[in-house]
Order: sequence, then structure tokens, then C-alpha cells
Amino acid sequence: MTTLLPEDRAVDSHARSKSAEMRKYGFFPGCVAKESCKELYNSTMLLADALGIELVELTAASCCGASVVNDTNRDIARVLNARTYAQAEALGLDDVITICSTCTGHMRAANKELLDKPEHLGQANAILGKFGAAYNGTVRVRHLLWLLIDDIGLDNLRKMVVRPLNGLKVAPFYGCHIIRPESVNGWESARNPHSLENVIAALGGEPVDYAGKTRCCGFHIQLEKENVAANMVGQNMRMARDNGAEAVITPCPLCHLALDGYQQDAAARWGRTDLPTFHLPQLVAFALGVPTDRLGLNKHLIDPRTIMVERDLIS
Amino acid sequence: MAEIKLDVFRYDEGVDAVPHRDLVTVDLPETTTVLDALEAAKAQVDGSISFRRSCRSAICGSCSMNINGVTALACKTPCNTVMNEHGAISVDPMPNFQPMKDLVVHMDPFWDKYTRLKPYLQSADPDEDHERERRVSPDDMKKLVDVANCIMCATCYALCPVVSVDPAFAGPAAIAYAYRFIEDVRDDRRDQRIAQISEDYLWLCAHCYACSYCPKHVDPHDRIVDVKRAAIKDRVMMNERGPRHALVVSKTIKQTGMLAETEVIQGTVGRFNIVGLLKVAPLGLRMAAKGKLPPPFVKPIPKIDEVRTIFESLEVPVS
Repeated sequence: MTTLLPEDRAVDSHARSKSAEMRKYGFFPGCVAKESCKELYNSTMLLADALGIELVELTAASCCGASVVNDTNRDIARVLNARTYAQAEALGLDDVITICSTCTGHMRAANKELLDKPEHLGQANAILGKFGAAYNGTVRVRHLLWLLIDDIGLDNLRKMVVRPLNGLKVAPFYGCHIIRPESVNGWESARNPHSLENVIAALGGEPVDYAGKTRCCGFHIQLEKENVAANMVGQNMRMARDNGAEAVITPCPLCHLALDGYQQDAAARWGRTDLPTFHLPQLVAFALGVPTDRLGLNKHLIDPRTIMVERDLIS
Repeated sequence: MAEIKLDVFRYDEGVDAVPHRDLVTVDLPETTTVLDALEAAKAQVDGSISFRRSCRSAICGSCSMNINGVTALACKTPCNTVMNEHGAISVDPMPNFQPMKDLVVHMDPFWDKYTRLKPYLQSADPDEDHERERRVSPDDMKKLVDVANCIMCATCYALCPVVSVDPAFAGPAAIAYAYRFIEDVRDDRRDQRIAQISEDYLWLCAHCYACSYCPKHVDPHDRIVDVKRAAIKDRVMMNERGPRHALVVSKTIKQTGMLAETEVIQGTVGRFNIVGLLKVAPLGLRMAAKGKLPPPFVKPIPKIDEVRTIFESLEVPVS
């Protein structure tokens, strides 16, 4: 077993990877983008084309554990993710790009454990060895949002915009696991993140600041007790609406399901908010000129095309 | 020295119909703590400003408040880390609590949830006079030291988004403290404690990590997950939605490699729980109308045998 020294580890979130040099990344879509949020998967692939990067889907990858597997067993999710990283390494890729805040946080947490503790990497490789796989600890996990800023760059993104958002007032909604815990993510301040705001501004939109942007959507407890998740959605969307938001953008499909699905149920307590919610790649791809009808906006329960017509973004 | 402008929430529940704000300016080194700035404001400018404090050293847990919208201990927050370019710092009472006077809040709901835990050792040991020393191995004690650092400052409780919409939730500190007794080898009411905290909505934690801002690094979230694992290991209240959800998620990943959304919903709510399923049905119908329902069955990923090997290598048989 190779013991990794700290300087060998590809853990610095902002460092340039081999994948970034090749503009070719391992891609982990996660479960929801393949199931109820297919529009996220499709718009991500369209955005990758528009950006001129290649996302190589890790088709044999499993679920990241989605925070829930840890509730039953502290080892399984870590080893499942080690298997995913081994697949990326086998393809010569050292970057695994996610499009879900929960995948980001839990895959980074698993990777941190694998890299920080030799016994964890040893345990994982003992099991991976049973089917001829091995993880050498060279992979890092990043969200597409971070790729946009670190590898493409906000200036370049701004130059690529062909359909600016005409000052559309967009509220960012980060999704807990892309920022917290800071010891796992640490790409930006968890209490005062700015990446989504910067992307919104680069696209010609106006970012809306509100306290709910770093709060929880309640997705993980939506089946647990009636109305709790809906109220968390209502509380956050109320704040966004009161601060002038016309739409919301999120890098997380779980947040998307909650925000798009539960505003109606929250209206009794929080008043009607009806904020349409974009998946991050949908709005970026739109601004970069990807045809609107390919973005799956018709799949949203609160149709974003209404405000886009009002703001002369589409006819 | 710097001019520090404190924008203070002012309210007296017996007197004021609505809160107002006062701007109080003090001259202090900018590295001074927010608590020392408040002390100076009270001593030099307005003696009626009320806030709780005692140790000034992040030990007593009294001075938790919102500082520029962020809940933190005032004694642990240097002014220069929070003040804006105009030297202003807004201070407000902790959210999720009723304000009493200025920055002082009614702590009762927090203490009530703590008291419900019976936060003391309950041993079946007949040694009622406590004559004998009850020894704990260093390994057993290691599990408890982090959580024993909790100073009950309620920062996590104030930050918890679940508490903010459903005050029935025990909150992070109480569950972390339940863990402290559940995992104490000297305590003999482990399963009763797990059942109690399950009734107080252990499984309502949303995994949001807002409590990761704990000023004492107790990591309540990780302890909440530990208590959930203890509940599953000991099979306490297994018919509740929380444990069912955890088990069905793992089951679908083992079967397909994916978190199969449809099966997870049915397995969590209960396949034969008609009322429960009808309650989630309206959203399902709305999603179906948009062609957005998850597929009823998920095809196993390539090399699914590898995933099953991982599960089989690591699954601990439940007792």
C-alpha cells in the first residue's frame, strides 16, 4: 500500500488538476439527475458542450450515500465512494465533477477520510481488491459551480454570454452540503459564500442577498414529518421574495425538488411565493445560447418561462 | 484604537410593543471582543443595555447572540473580524428564542429539552451510597470527551432550521447530550434514552450541518448520526419513518447501486400506509403532470456485484 504524504494529495480545492489541463473530467451525475431531475442531467451535458469541456460520465458509479447511508453504517458510503474514485483513476482522470450539493459534501467527506487516515484507505482497498480495483488517493471532488469559477473563470464566462439575463433578480440557494461543514468543503466561506452571486452577475443577472441563501431546504426530512420541510422552503422563499427575487438558482437537485415542489404547500403559512427555481447549468446554458427548449424548463412545477417572458429573455 | 459602532437590538417585553435599535459608539482597540465592546457600551454610554455574560472566556456559554446575523459567542468574536468598513456591528438576540430584554432571551425551551433527557447517570448498580469508584476505560471515555465540552450556549439550537419551523424537535445540543449518556458504559438506561430522544424527533435532523458552527467543536451533527446508528443497532422504535428511511435507502443502493427514489418513498412512508401515501400523492401528481416522476424501478448499475461485495464486507449484523 502506498502511503500518501500530504504534499502528494490532490486535495487543494483551487489547485489546477490534470483533468483541468485536458479539459476532460470525471463526471458523477448522482441519482436524482438520472431519476426525477433528468432536466439537470441534460442541461449539464449541453452546458459542457457550450463550455468546450468533456464530462466523462462514470457510468458504473454508485450512489454517494446521500447522507443517509451513514445513519446505518459508518464505513459503507466511504468505500462506495472509493470505488467511484478508483473508476476515475482507471480512466486517467483526477477530477470528479458533481452537480449536486449533497453529492459534493458527502463525496468530499469520504475522500477526506480516505486521504487523512491510512486505515480507511487500507480498509477500502482491501475490499476493492476483491474485484481487482484500487484507489490511489489522487482524485478530488468538485462541484460544477467551482469548475465554472476556477477552470473557466468568471471573466471568460462573462465573455461567452450571448443572452445576458437583463438584470433578472436571481436569489442564490446554495444547498447545505456544498458549503458545510467548512472542514470538508472549504472552497469558500460557508457563512458568507459568493460563488453563485458571482455567476449570476457574470450572466447579466442581479444577485439577491437574503439570509435564507445558506439555509436548509428540508429535503432530507421531507418524508419524516409532515410540513416541516415545506415550512423550511416557505421560510427561505419568503425571505428571497421579500428581498426582491424573481427567480432562484441552485446547484443542488435535492434543493430543487424541495423548492420547486413545496412552495405551494408552504403558502398557507408563508404566503404565496411562487419563485421559479433554475438548476445552475440551466441558467448558465441559457445565457451561453443553448436553445431554451432543450433545457427542460417545462419540467418545473413553477414554470420559469413566465418570468423569462416578462423580462424579455424569451418570447 | 478604533471607533466601534454597535447597532443594538433594544426591547423590553414588559414595556415595548415593538423592538427598536440604538447605535452606540465606543472607542476600543479593534481586536477587542464584541462582548468587551458591549461591556464598554453598558459602562460608558447606556447602563440599561442588557445581555447575559459571565466568564468572558468561552467556558460559561452565556453570551451567545447574533452578531451581524451570525449566531456566535460574543466573548469569542473579535470586533475586527465582523465589523464592516464603517466599523459597525449589529447585535441581536439569538433566533429561535423569544426575546426577553435586549439581547437576553427566554432559554426555557432549550433547558426543558435538556431536562427531559434526565441528564445524569442512571445506573442499575445497587451501590446507592456511591462508595465504590466506577472506572471507565480510556477508550470508552474518549467517545465522551468531545461532547462533554458542550457549554450549553445554545448556539446550535439558535442556528437549527428545523427548530425554527418545528419547536417540537429536540435540537442539536439535546441529542448530542443524549449521546453522552447513551454511550456512557456506566449508564443502564441506554435503550430508554434512545426511545426518549426518538420521540423527541431524533430523526427530524435535516443533516444541514448548521450546528457545525459550534464554538466548542462538539460537532452535534456527528453525534446525532451516532445516536441514529445506536437506535438501529439496538432496534429501538424501528417502525418509525426515520429508521425505515435509512434502511430502505441502503437496501436500494445494495440492490441497484442507486438511491431508487420511488422505492425509498414507498419504503419510508410504508407500502400499505394508504393515508400516508395519499398525503404525498398530491406532489406526486403535480410531478407526474410535468413528466417528472422518478421511474418506478431502477435498473442496476454496471458491475453491481462490486457494490454488493462492499455491502457484504461491511454490513454488521443487527442484534
